Amino acid sequence: MSEFDTQKDKYVTFQSGSEYFGLKIEYVNEIIVFQEITEIPESPEYVKGLINLRGKIIPVVDVRLRFHQEPIPYTDRTCIIVIRYEQMVVGLIVEKIAEVVEIPAENILPSPSIGKNDNAKSRFVSGIGKVGNDVKLLLDPAKLLGDEEAALVGHLNNEDESEEGEE
Amino acid sequence: MADDFNTGDMLSVYLFENQQLLENLQNIVMEQKDADGFDEDSINEIFRTMHTIKGSSGIMMFDEITKVSHKLEDVFYFIRESHPTTVPHVELVEHVLDVSDFIMAEMDKLSDGGDADGDATELVASLDAFLQKIKGENGAKEADTKPVQKEETPKQFYIAPETGGNSHFFRIYLTYNPEIQMASMHAYKTVFALKKIAKDILYSPEDILTNEATSDEIVKDGFNILIKTDATEEDIREIVQPGYDLTKVEVYECTAQEFQLGFEAEEAQILIDLDSSVEEIEKRADAKEGQTDTAPKKKIAPGDFVIASKEPGKGKNLAKERPAKKDKASFISVDIAKMDQLMDLIGELVISQSVVLQNPDLKVPGLNLDNFNKAAGQMKKISTDLQNVIMSMRMVPLTNTFQKMNRIVFEMSRKLGKDVTFEMIGDTTEVDKNIIEHISDPLMHLVRNSMDHGIETNEERLASSKQEKAKVTLSAKTESGKVWISVADNGKGLDRGQIMAKARQQGLLEPGRSESSYTDKEVYQFITLPGFSTNKKVTEFSGRGVGMDVVVSNLQKIGGTLEIDSVPGQGSTMNLKIPLTLAIIDGIVMDVGDSSFVMETGAVREFVHVTEDMLIHEPDGRESVMIRGACYPVIRLGDFYELHDYETKIANGMMVLVEIEKNVVCLFVDRLVGKQEIVVKPIPKYIKKVKGLSGCTQLGDGSIALILDAAGLMEY
Repeated sequence: MSEFDTQKDKYVTFQSGSEYFGLKIEYVNEIIVFQEITEIPESPEYVKGLINLRGKIIPVVDVRLRFHQEPIPYTDRTCIIVIRYEQMVVGLIVEKIAEVVEIPAENILPSPSIGKNDNAKSRFVSGIGKVGNDVKLLLDPAKLLGDEEAALVGHLNNEDESEEGEE
Repeated sequence: MADDFNTGDMLSVYLFENQQLLENLQNIVMEQKDADGFDEDSINEIFRTMHTIKGSSGIMMFDEITKVSHKLEDVFYFIRESHPTTVPHVELVEHVLDVSDFIMAEMDKLSDGGDADGDATELVASLDAFLQKIKGENGAKEADTKPVQKEETPKQFYIAPETGGNSHFFRIYLTYNPEIQMASMHAYKTVFALKKIAKDILYSPEDILTNEATSDEIVKDGFNILIKTDATEEDIREIVQPGYDLTKVEVYECTAQEFQLGFEAEEAQILIDLDSSVEEIEKRADAKEGQTDTAPKKKIAPGDFVIASKEPGKGKNLAKERPAKKDKASFISVDIAKMDQLMDLIGELVISQSVVLQNPDLKVPGLNLDNFNKAAGQMKKISTDLQNVIMSMRMVPLTNTFQKMNRIVFEMSRKLGKDVTFEMIGDTTEVDKNIIEHISDPLMHLVRNSMDHGIETNEERLASSKQEKAKVTLSAKTESGKVWISVADNGKGLDRGQIMAKARQQGLLEPGRSESSYTDKEVYQFITLPGFSTNKKVTEFSGRGVGMDVVVSNLQKIGGTLEIDSVPGQGSTMNLKIPLTLAIIDGIVMDVGDSSFVMETGAVREFVHVTEDMLIHEPDGRESVMIRGACYPVIRLGDFYELHDYETKIANGMMVLVEIEKNVVCLFVDRLVGKQEIVVKPIPKYIKKVKGLSGCTQLGDGSIALILDAAGLMEY
């Protein structure tokens, strides 16, 4: 990735529950308003179904359910962040989009591990970014999209791949 | 090898272009393989093709390909420039095919990311030998490039290298009824018929096709044919039978020398026999010798070349049946992903169009919408056209696939020593590109089977006194939204007895069913079962079933079926029925709860409204339904997929009878929505495989429906 990359260190942040999360902007294709979802049988609870994105059919995941938070009804503020990770295009249903922030690498701390394995959120977090006085939990798309088990395995494989870009 | 230059783009352009060139080349060669020689256009085309491949391979530094193409270019350069007269055509065809095979194989390696590391030394050597051979045979002419030679002794071209063997030579005199019109056409028909058995044929007058005046000549003087063939006098008489138009047929066996001398010798002989003095004969003979001797030394004169190529009789050495070249369509190559994207967008356009046109805002009473409706009508028309165009863009004619089969027949007939003709019918039928990729292998298998096991050897055919020539016919047509492709041969057909014996041995017969109650079709279906022919004991049979199960399973993958038809002693026909496209299917849309499902129309047998009392509840919770005396298992889609708010009362819903290869299952749905053409899309990879679903689609209102896979549902 070049030094002049305008996407460098930029993160799309959104709110889920009381916390703010960040996703590297290079993974984000677009943000769309919430639309009707077609359920798909035999899928995990957090996979809400399929949506029609201009003729392309993509699956959508409810981030709250993925984090094992209580589901809340969808509102006008509910958005779908369409991300692309390794040829997979998936929509993430989030409560509220916040903003795009720049978090330089030196402001990112490794995700704290104090034996709080029960905290579902921390398993998807690759680091903690400081923006002023706020903190954003930076998400690892591989773990977000992967299986619970695969996420653990993926953790080993994907550590060096966080630099990997998209287009 | 060429790492510095192997940037992906250049390589893919190289591969793509050469692929096209080679395909074109093979088509030319296959078209003219049965002719006596390539025509001038083709020679130029092959020469240019090789030149281009040589050039681009040189740039890419694929040395072996460059060497081979250079060598073949040399051969064709020689042919083009010196018009050699004794080129063994079949050998030449084989060389061209070998070269194109070699380059194709190298290109396959390259496109798989490998190196073009094939060794062409042998190929180059054999081409070299071939070139030397034809140069040698036409040596004198080559020395001072003498196309004129051809004009001088046109009768001697095609004999020398393969004289001998079992060939016989015959002289045929035909006398035509003076009252018939266009005697030259009749004569040509005879020549055409004889060509099938002839290794070489000469006739006089020569220019029957181009010169109508020859008709009178033929009526007056008769028509003379010299033929070299393996066939007997009886065979010839069989083909050339006297009738109203043909009043007299005389066939005499003659020697190879006489044949080589052609008709001029004959004239000389006639002169001897009739009214010439000895001196005259000697003079004539001297003159003739002198002519042949001096000819090679004759200096080339300006214009000679042109005259030579315009020589009226020349046509007979070439592929006459070749249709006039059509205007070449111009093509650009487009990334298939872009096409898919375009199709998605058009689908989306159609949907947003309906959203606009049926917008609730328009439903306000008292609105004058005349102009709006006119404009809307125009817009609908355009978007329909747009859809049709994009669909037709995905369609490709079967021509190339069929040509490949032609090639297989050609090669196998030589290898197996079976004399087989190949016929293609409807090769311009257009099929979706994805489908073509899937049928090439099954077709190849079927054609091989026909060649290997269907068609008898020449001797067997003689023994069973089959008159017609062995033939493999490949035909295609479109009917009711499907492509029907058939591979037919006129060989010995399938042996019902042997298949039954084999089936009995493998325990495939249903117990308690008499063997005679199996229909022929059912019997032939046995050979499509896996491993049916692995038993080597049935030797005449082994192979007839090898891979037939693979053929069938490949066909099933694309929703196709195979039917076998056979008449003992008269041949077999394999009928393939394949959907035109995978991208669009005709489907029945049905609702269950909030979800919509689509089932391919072809799989739906009927819709039945059933009542509670028709249901049979089994102790393990399974349900069946009794419809007109037959019992079918029931799948309630709502339960099956654990949906919400679906209809549970059987009387309020609808039963959909789905049939796949004689298996029937009833799907219970809430209601039917309608029949619709749908664009099939894969279920995103992120979703795990769901039982009984093969894809998804968007409906007219933009919502998504799941496509049910009938075969998949049967498994539960």
